[in-house]
Amino acid sequence: MIKRISAITAALALATVGFIVPANAATTEADCGKAGAFCVGLVTDLGQIDDKSFNQSAWEGAQAGAKKAGGFAKYIETKDSKDYAKNIKLFADAGYNVIVTVGFLMGDASAAAAKLYPKVKFVGVDQFNATTEPNYTGLIFDEDKAGFLAGYLAGYLTKTNKVGAVFGMKEVLPVRKFGEGYENGIQYAAKQRSKKIRSSVVYHPAGDNAFSNPAWGATTANQLLTQGFDVIFGAGGSTGNGAIGKVAQKAGAFCIGVDIDQYYTVPEAKPCLVTSAEKKLVLGVSTLVGQAKAGTIKGGNFVGQVGLAPFHDLESKVPAAVKVRLKKTTTGVLAGSISTGFKG
Amino acid sequence: MKMLTKRNSYIFLALAATAFFYSRDGDITTSVYATGLAFALPLALAAMVGIMCERTGIVNIGIEGTMLISAFVAFFVAYLTQNIIIGLVASLLVGALMGFILALMAVSWRMDQIIAGTIINILATGLTSFLYVQGKTIPSVFQSFEIPLLSKIPFLGPVLFIHGALTFVGLAVILILYVGIYHTPWGLRSRAVGEHPSSADTAGVSVARLRYINVTIAGAIGALAGAYLALELVGSFERGFIAGKGFTALALMIFGRWNPLGALAAALFFGLTQAYASQLMIDQVVNIPSQFTAALPYILTIVILTISAGKVRPPAAEGQPYEKGQ
Repeated sequence: MIKRISAITAALALATVGFIVPANAATTEADCGKAGAFCVGLVTDLGQIDDKSFNQSAWEGAQAGAKKAGGFAKYIETKDSKDYAKNIKLFADAGYNVIVTVGFLMGDASAAAAKLYPKVKFVGVDQFNATTEPNYTGLIFDEDKAGFLAGYLAGYLTKTNKVGAVFGMKEVLPVRKFGEGYENGIQYAAKQRSKKIRSSVVYHPAGDNAFSNPAWGATTANQLLTQGFDVIFGAGGSTGNGAIGKVAQKAGAFCIGVDIDQYYTVPEAKPCLVTSAEKKLVLGVSTLVGQAKAGTIKGGNFVGQVGLAPFHDLESKVPAAVKVRLKKTTTGVLAGSISTGFKG
Repeated sequence: MKMLTKRNSYIFLALAATAFFYSRDGDITTSVYATGLAFALPLALAAMVGIMCERTGIVNIGIEGTMLISAFVAFFVAYLTQNIIIGLVASLLVGALMGFILALMAVSWRMDQIIAGTIINILATGLTSFLYVQGKTIPSVFQSFEIPLLSKIPFLGPVLFIHGALTFVGLAVILILYVGIYHTPWGLRSRAVGEHPSSADTAGVSVARLRYINVTIAGAIGALAGAYLALELVGSFERGFIAGKGFTALALMIFGRWNPLGALAAALFFGLTQAYASQLMIDQVVNIPSQFTAALPYILTIVILTISAGKVRPPAAEGQPYEKGQ
């Protein structure tokens, strides 16, 4: 009787926690926890695994890393932010070797879990790791570099010499890094072209809805468009998506997406989307999973790569000479020989 | 009639400020006012929902949910049928249905109206989050067009007469509602039902029927606000799309003293301060900390509220279920 009740409780607990779906790999789920097995568990932030954003990219990276290491990968979709610790525990108790947690918001839960399960390696995607736990690695990105490159391209694409941006709130560090990098990138291009280019970054007022206010994003983008701005960078969840979607309604204007290649996530922006200031999540996660397998992974923070996404439909709108210059600048920025001017 | 009433002096102040800004920079002022109107319209329409319900004695805090679910339906029906008109019609029907459900709970079942509205909000949030699929697009939005001649008027033309179809419909709805409430038998009966339902009943007005009709129509107006956001202003849908506008609208309704034009003015004021807050960042004229510019709409709202505060009085029978013979 007790056994049956506990089985029902366990089933109910699983039901409230979310869906668990395995991926194919050499090792099977039953092997996890045994010697020689390599299992990678991924806990998503709120939202689906196929969100075409952070969750999906991190999951692709985890699968790629596990596959290369001959291991097994599985994910849990978080349905409620109160379940972060619970979901991590499910993997830890099952003897998983690596647990990938996705998103800035799960930082505290990951740090706490790392302390609790010293044998498990934790990879925190987009989490700045301030702890000294040797088994917790934050995967972070130089947003200022991605923003700088986006600004540089924008500075070459503008015909009106007015370049704008519509962002989430300034108080969030990655947003500010994108913004300052962007403005400095524009001025870098302006200097090369010996032109005066105006750059204006508009941040959403601080508040609960700063990253989920597409109507504000669209209206503000339109305000910039009616004043002659012809390249607009949108960054900040659905607020930014609203902005680039609006730019697409104006013929001849360009927009720039953020975080991942938004050509696939914001299809309404396709007509204007020249590129996205991208964080290479898939690569970063698979690299760290590989390091965990090899035993070379270190605590602290791992800086992932950034860059610009392909031009897609607007390939022909970017002059060949600009592409050459952009390539050169990209090399310089990523190597650190060109400063993004971000002061922190 | 006194010339220097409080209201007239506000109108005079607003006109003087507009003229001053326009003389400084015509193009930017025009752009800012057009932006302010875009910010204001969904808020004003949402406030109309509140006015229409509360004028007949029903408190509707489900405006946010009504807008959310109708924006969702507008977008996804437009996507499925590849036709934004069908999307709009479906959205209006669903909005009316939401209103009808509220009336059912509040009038027939005599439920607590705050709970009834909350049910609508929870239902809308849950359904739209669950059914939402990313990566869908609609064939087009309600494109901006110019109304001939009128759009050539300096300043007023570009601000008022170059918009998508739903903006014009929305503005018309607000004007019609104003005339309807104050100058038609329907308006008189509605107000009577909201103030003193038993007297209205004695005079032969069916309280329940009028409440059903008004709350249902109000739902459709809420849907118009949602459809405007999804099919004209933004052209997409995301989870949590309304971002609190349905609640802001309740404050604007009170600020506007349950008068459609008052609520419209309040919404325009709020929209304009938002547009000017953005404009300060765009211009970078002076290096004001962004936290200050971001707080500006709220600070100004508090200042204006403090200055203009008088006694506001909601409809007397608001929130009370009506039973015959009580």
